[in-house]
Amino acid sequence: MIWLAGSVLVIIVIIAVALVFAYYNRITVLSNRIDNAWSQIDVQLKKRADLVPNLVETVKGYMKHEQKAIEMVTQARERMLGASSLKERMDAGNALAGALKTIFALAENYPALRASENFKLLQEQLDGIESKIAYARQFYNDSVLSYNNMISTLPGRWFAGLMGRTQQRPYLEIPEAERAPVKVTF
Amino acid sequence: MQRTSFYDQISRNKRDSLILTIFIVALVVALVYVTARILLPEFALFLSVFAILLMLAQVQISYNYGDQIVLRATNARPADPVSNVYLINSVEGLSLAAGIPAPSVYVVESNEINAFAVGKDPEHASIAVTTGALAHLNRTELEGVVGHEISHVKNFDVRFMTLVAVLVGLAAILGHMLLRMYWYGGVRTRRDERKREGGLNILILAGLVLAILAPIASRLVQAFISRRREFLADASSVQLTRYSEGLASALEKIKNFNRGKMDVSDAISHLFISDPNRNPLDELFATHPPLEERIKVLRAM
Repeated sequence: MIWLAGSVLVIIVIIAVALVFAYYNRITVLSNRIDNAWSQIDVQLKKRADLVPNLVETVKGYMKHEQKAIEMVTQARERMLGASSLKERMDAGNALAGALKTIFALAENYPALRASENFKLLQEQLDGIESKIAYARQFYNDSVLSYNNMISTLPGRWFAGLMGRTQQRPYLEIPEAERAPVKVTF
Repeated sequence: MQRTSFYDQISRNKRDSLILTIFIVALVVALVYVTARILLPEFALFLSVFAILLMLAQVQISYNYGDQIVLRATNARPADPVSNVYLINSVEGLSLAAGIPAPSVYVVESNEINAFAVGKDPEHASIAVTTGALAHLNRTELEGVVGHEISHVKNFDVRFMTLVAVLVGLAAILGHMLLRMYWYGGVRTRRDERKREGGLNILILAGLVLAILAPIASRLVQAFISRRREFLADASSVQLTRYSEGLASALEKIKNFNRGKMDVSDAISHLFISDPNRNPLDELFATHPPLEERIKVLRAM
């Protein structure tokens, strides 16, 4: 009888330990995935920042009267490169996206610029990066969703509590500037 | 498609791969064993072990080089970074959304609208799109198609399908060989020699049944699982692009435009987004669900 009770107890302990291991690993993997997702966004943000001096150089010669718009792009880029926190970086990145949109909208008025091969290539590259940032952000939010679901539903919630990971991770907001159409002032 | 069940789907895929592989391997080993017992009873065990080793070697080779073989068989060439820039950008963007490394991108010369993915895991994957698809699909449609292929890569469908293709091929070859042996009387002479041995007739019968059924059974299992997987990849594509109409209208174009005459081997036809060869037996052996049904499911999302 004691022998039976003992083996039942051992089996229960083994199952409990296995569960803790499984959930610990799952929660850690999901949390790491969020960090990895952020670094994917960061790579694209950097790539975009690297293209900006090139764009400014190309545009400067044609758009003599748009100094302010060009200035905004340069400033946003510097702010982004100097940003340290995730949120600052994302905000500055959004500002840069807005400034670039203005440049491309203004470029409509300069046929010679629009015809330049260099400009066309830059525009295609920046468009590509823009959609990659959007996709990377989508993956980030998907990862946050899986993580938050994991730590807020049962039984994941109990294990997350044991690990001290009760804090929900924040989503990346879609910036106001990207929802609204670009306003161009002449 | 429920997000939370998505990772369950992936592990289910991996488990299916294992079960199905074991099933087909068992069939083929039984086939070999029975053949050996009839023809060379003294070496039956040896021959079976030899066959298993051969099979493992073949699986290993197809696992590591399958993608290169398929890419070469379809004459795929690497996508041009300038003229195919949009295709490359979509592949890179959607793989970011799926959270996998960007696969290599290839283009296949063909008028038909089609695409396929190969590679043993997301780290070694390639995606190929036909020139017909690049010419006839607009950007959202192309993204839907690329999303479908990226999903195949992410769900490890490609690895599974490569394994299955090899095993089904092997079952077909062995069954064919055995039938020919019966046909040309190789068995009859042996039978005369060993008339006293009991149970030989039953063995021959079993061998005959296996030789006929093994290739058919493995094809049926392959088709069944492949069809289920296409629906899953369609759903995952929508999860990536967040726009079901893109893929739906791409499939509609495929339905109206493709003649099903791409002239690729049956062994790799299940890798494509839409069946590249159409034939009357499609109802039974089709590796893809009917396009109408896929479109209907997509539009209901």
